[in-house]
Amino acid sequence: MIIQTPITTSTELETEADQAARELGELLLHTPEYQAFVKALNAVNNNPAIQKISAEIRSHKNALRWSREEAGEHEAALSRLETELEALLVAQGYPPAEAAVCRLFAEVDTIISQAGVPFAANAKRSGCGCGS
Amino acid sequence: MLTEELQNSARMLGEALHASPSVQTYLQAQADCAADPEVAEMEKRLLAMYQALMGRQQRGEALPRSEIDVFNALKGQVHQHPLIRERDAALALVKLTFADIADDLHLSLGADFGALAQTGSV
Repeated sequence: MIIQTPITTSTELETEADQAARELGELLLHTPEYQAFVKALNAVNNNPAIQKISAEIRSHKNALRWSREEAGEHEAALSRLETELEALLVAQGYPPAEAAVCRLFAEVDTIISQAGVPFAANAKRSGCGCGS
Repeated sequence: MLTEELQNSARMLGEALHASPSVQTYLQAQADCAADPEVAEMEKRLLAMYQALMGRQQRGEALPRSEIDVFNALKGQVHQHPLIRERDAALALVKLTFADIADDLHLSLGADFGALAQTGSV
């Protein structure tokens, strides 16, 4: 009697992983932690004061990146703006929502990684496109 | 605490990744490196040298160029070893596989799972 070993091709395996990832994504999407995170994120993105401060922070950072002229003034403004931003984010409930979703994702990542290689730490494309 | 459904789903993804050719190749390459006494010794020596140099630098010492050169020479030697090159190449392919899967998660969620998970593990 000939026993046929099922042959699993690389494409099938990748499809299996792709499908498993999509199913996991769907489950995560509906968790209370993720829903609370999205709600807080939307509140942050739709808050004009936060957007204004974020734009100012980017502007000061750009100024510092291109020139060291008036660096002290830019650094002082950055420090003040970052404190203001933090207070606004706290008011929107963003930090705890983000922390909860990060903890949830880290727990999920621990389980995925039990298969042999840390997942999140290696799920990155390199800048040069060669994969190294 | 994760729900059982989430735990099972995460486990299924882990198992699917484990069965992928890129992870299997990497795990074999990793085992080959671990089984080779020369590779194990070289990597141990490189790590010890790195930790010693970093420790001295963090204590404010300016490291002599000659010592940095010795470290870089050993690092080059380690990365030129055929088994380590195989392992590095295999890991590069694992990263591509994992990045594709992270893209699937990103598309389902609308958020970067990998970045958030890493923040949560700090």
